[in-house]
Amino acid sequence: MKKISKRFLALALASVMVFSLAACGNKDGKTPDGTTPATGTEPQGTQTPADDTASYTYRSAVAQVSANWNPHTVQTEDDSWPQEYLTTPLYEFMFNDELHPVEGKEPFTGYSIVPAMAASEPVDVTEQVKAEHPEFNLPESATAGYAYTIDLNPNATWQDGTPINADTYIYSMQQLLDPQMINYRAADQYSAPFVIAGAEAYAYSGRTVKVVNSVDAEAMRYQVADLVKGDDGTYTTPDGDKAYFGLQEGYAWTGGDALAAYYEAGYIEEEIWSALSAGMSEDGFVPVTDDTMAALYQFTGSDVWGNEPEEQLGYYMSFETTYPEVDFSTVGFYKSGDYQITLVLSQSLSGFNLLYQLAMNSRSWLVYEDLYESCKKQNGDAWFSEYCSNVDTTISYGPYKMVSYQSDKLMRLEKNENWFGYTDERYQFVDPEDNETYQMYQTTAIECEQVAEAETRKMMFLKGELSSYGLGAEDFATYRNSEYAYAVPAETIFFFIFNGYKDAIQNREASEGFDKTKYDLETMTLKTFRQAVAVTYDKELFASTISPARTGAYGLVGTAYLYNAEEGSRYRDTDQAKQVLCDFYSVDTSQYASLDEAAASITGYDPEKAKELYQQAFEEALEAGYITDEDGDGICDQQINIEYCVAEDSDFMTKTIDYLNEKMTEILVGTGFEGKVAFVKSAPYGNDWSNKIKSGMSDVVLGGWSGSVFDPFGIIDCYTNPAKQYDANWFDATTVDMTLEVAGESITMNLQEWCNALNGNMVTVDGKDYNFGADLVDVEDRLHILAALEAQVLSTYNYIPMLNDGGLQLASQQVYYVVEEFNPVMSYGGIPYHRYNYSDTEWTEYVASQGGELKY
Amino acid sequence: MGKYVIKRISLMLMTLLIITLMCFILIRMLPLAELPPGDPHTAVIEARREAAGYNKPYLVQFGIFMKDVFTEWNWGLSDVLYFGQDVSVIFASKLPATVMVNLYAILFSIPIGVALGIFAALKKNTWIDHTISTLTMVCISVPSFVYAFIIQYFLAYKLGWVPFLMKSGNDFFSWPMFVSMIPAVLSLSMGVIAGFTRTTRAELTEVLTSEFMLLARTKGLTKAQATLRHAMKNCMVVVLPAIFGEFIAIMSGSLIIERIFSVPGVGSLYINSINARDYPMFTMLTMFYTSIGLLASIVVDISYGFIDPRIRMGSKK
Repeated sequence: MKKISKRFLALALASVMVFSLAACGNKDGKTPDGTTPATGTEPQGTQTPADDTASYTYRSAVAQVSANWNPHTVQTEDDSWPQEYLTTPLYEFMFNDELHPVEGKEPFTGYSIVPAMAASEPVDVTEQVKAEHPEFNLPESATAGYAYTIDLNPNATWQDGTPINADTYIYSMQQLLDPQMINYRAADQYSAPFVIAGAEAYAYSGRTVKVVNSVDAEAMRYQVADLVKGDDGTYTTPDGDKAYFGLQEGYAWTGGDALAAYYEAGYIEEEIWSALSAGMSEDGFVPVTDDTMAALYQFTGSDVWGNEPEEQLGYYMSFETTYPEVDFSTVGFYKSGDYQITLVLSQSLSGFNLLYQLAMNSRSWLVYEDLYESCKKQNGDAWFSEYCSNVDTTISYGPYKMVSYQSDKLMRLEKNENWFGYTDERYQFVDPEDNETYQMYQTTAIECEQVAEAETRKMMFLKGELSSYGLGAEDFATYRNSEYAYAVPAETIFFFIFNGYKDAIQNREASEGFDKTKYDLETMTLKTFRQAVAVTYDKELFASTISPARTGAYGLVGTAYLYNAEEGSRYRDTDQAKQVLCDFYSVDTSQYASLDEAAASITGYDPEKAKELYQQAFEEALEAGYITDEDGDGICDQQINIEYCVAEDSDFMTKTIDYLNEKMTEILVGTGFEGKVAFVKSAPYGNDWSNKIKSGMSDVVLGGWSGSVFDPFGIIDCYTNPAKQYDANWFDATTVDMTLEVAGESITMNLQEWCNALNGNMVTVDGKDYNFGADLVDVEDRLHILAALEAQVLSTYNYIPMLNDGGLQLASQQVYYVVEEFNPVMSYGGIPYHRYNYSDTEWTEYVASQGGELKY
Repeated sequence: MGKYVIKRISLMLMTLLIITLMCFILIRMLPLAELPPGDPHTAVIEARREAAGYNKPYLVQFGIFMKDVFTEWNWGLSDVLYFGQDVSVIFASKLPATVMVNLYAILFSIPIGVALGIFAALKKNTWIDHTISTLTMVCISVPSFVYAFIIQYFLAYKLGWVPFLMKSGNDFFSWPMFVSMIPAVLSLSMGVIAGFTRTTRAELTEVLTSEFMLLARTKGLTKAQATLRHAMKNCMVVVLPAIFGEFIAIMSGSLIIERIFSVPGVGSLYINSINARDYPMFTMLTMFYTSIGLLASIVVDISYGFIDPRIRMGSKK
């Protein structure tokens, strides 16, 4: 989740890749050739088939062509790309239109989830399964949400025409979870929130593994007090599993950093480390004993580590357990009819969340038995499969099939004529432009070629050889206003993290060589100073100058986050969220006709306020003795150099720092800091950048967090959880109490407790339990809590939001989408909704007629 | 000579073993890519590493690897980049594209480079020599990717004479494939031509001023006869081993050129295998390239003896 500005380039590329097949184009009024209205099949419109004889090829370029798209083992986005075309999920997201209406939504402003490989919606059979299958251990109190039957689409076949039935699903799931195969995607079947009963136990069957005691930095499986001391002095869990401290484990509690890394960084004293690591195994584990507990607590209980209580030692613990041998019948996934499967879950799921999980997960399920078996091979004790690594080992059950492939070069997909969707009315849509009904997937072939250099991609695009092109920073001046340019916002917010770690700053100032008469660092810890910085920069101007694909950011939660996925409602559009921004940027809402207008007026730039605050900070700094004004000229004697933390030097960094300094210099004129504040580039810190920021050894960085677009509530944890916080050393969320009115009750908790309760954890305050998780309280109450938390974190001025991530794409004149507005879930509709202005033959002629080079 | 060759080969095998062992251990000592804390896939990755034997002591792993190679010719299966595929098959499938592009580049470069070198040497200190020498320095100084972009821009984008990228497929001897390789071949050739020009000119210039050349002329040979029969032969003592070296190096590929022209070759395989911690792929490539490098040095050394009988290898006298 951790991101930093050094990854901007990678992020930009990632955005481009995400969008590479989701480009959209303008509709220039030309109707797709060869389309003829058919007789009406639906009251909303008439189906208009594409010309069967014409070919429409979507040509995309990627930095890396997939090398292996085995649904059970695929790991990277590059590799999983073909799955979208070679597979079909049980349920699919489709735009809402007359054929897929969503109540209260205009066509193409939302989406619906439609059965695809499934024949219908899942049917809840929790009561029945609970009674008939006690082996799945469904909770006694469970009445719904744990078990479903899913009727399968009887028309679904493999590309060779072989039917896909319940046996196909059972074989595939057995192979996916097979303990011998150790498939990467197996974990997706037993990871919250989608947990198939017995799946984890079967996947680990007979294996001895070290299990982390606390996977989410909140709940521990075993408390330290639960451990049992053995005769040999080592501790075990009550189940007899041996307990260890993982010194090289990236535990969630430490934000993924191993204790060994803290030792290497000098946090853990040599003496403590020697006592702790004596007897450490090659993989970095030491048994939990009285001695190792004492040694670790000597560190975690110290000031350096924030005086953690002893019971929190459990966060650094793993335990070794051996899973019993079980067979696949213990997995909550079984055949209940020739074309029906039953799915049993360990955690309840229902409604949108269930369909969403099935839509996302089921693409990684199915494999073709004969082919899969023939592709298996063993090397040492490890099993591999060559399934889906070339044309011969690939078989499709999606809209396209693979016809040619060359590793690291090119992949070509063509229509799979045996795909049920081409004759299925569910795969139709009504184009809002002409009100005609079209079958989805007009594209007859998809070519994906490896083109590593962006400059080459651009030239190819301009010659009409590619269907889309992701704009780089150097292209914005030329193409940003093109009618073929489409924005793709992303969820990540990039913010400045300002150093407020006073102890570290004082240590730096006390170090040899630091001349306090000439330089000062402490001023930047003043809240007033950071407040001034917050209104020094016009966020949109900043974005357009240094990273034009992005937009200005004002809050901690990005514009893409949806609090109601079913309705597509965005947190940032709520009154609560708008009020937070108005408060943070001191906007007087009474001066505007509405809250919307007031929020829309925010630019982040308020020179008068900024000057006032800088002057105030100057006076505070003088009074505190941070700076001096010996000559009485009203300007401080010290230079304040704010070290900008650089992971890797680049033009982007230089441009950012130059911009910051330019605007800062302008605004400081006439204040006590005139000409005295500057951002200076650090040495390249590489991967150590986050440690430098967290430890106060560097002063500012443009960093960010991204999370699930459907969960704005979860992202706030990054700002209140010390395991994730960048500012944990100078902001303790457990010490800040907040009182809110929730469901008519006035409740006071600290920020971390509010956050935990908001994210579905039980929090006990004054003997009373609170849990404000999804579906447990009214969503308005949850928004109220989220907004209050965001306001509290913003008010520390440790984080100053600057950029909302995003990309910009040029679409070829050959293609267009039926939508013009970006949808956070559907993007612009992707290949299913892709329409063509020209067939391939016409396109070649058109490009030639333009002199071989197109203008965008 | 025979003893010398055997000795060199023995030393080569020992060097190969040591380099392979060092690389084998060093790659395993590199830290693995971090997954977000609490990521459920971490356990799966750990389990796979355990099953693949990566948690065994390094020397045990090395022993298993050597045993598999020498008893079963099993170089292992790629476990990251090309999951489940035989690394030797992957490598073999990528080698032809690299070899073809480099072969064309060398075949194109050697005659031009040597000819320009001879011409410059014969016209020493004239404007022709100065022009050739200046162009040679420019070609050597400018990185090949600069030519690549210039060639791509003018030949492919502006003039449309050649495609932007190398054609896909394995029809390496077809005309469309040849045309598609021209930009990559030209980009690679610039430096090679310049290298041969400079070497040939330097050697030939020196030889042409030798006393035996004066003798040859006084014997009545024409300048052309003396140059061809005597000067060129001596000059080749240095030029020919360089040509051998180039031929051997064609299998290493060019990371940048292959990337720019989308040549599906081996150029990026090595660096990718390190970045991805694909141990089987990395180890096989290490052994292959180390072998090639060592073999090249032996071949070049031995070739001196064949080209110039005055050079004796391994002689104690």
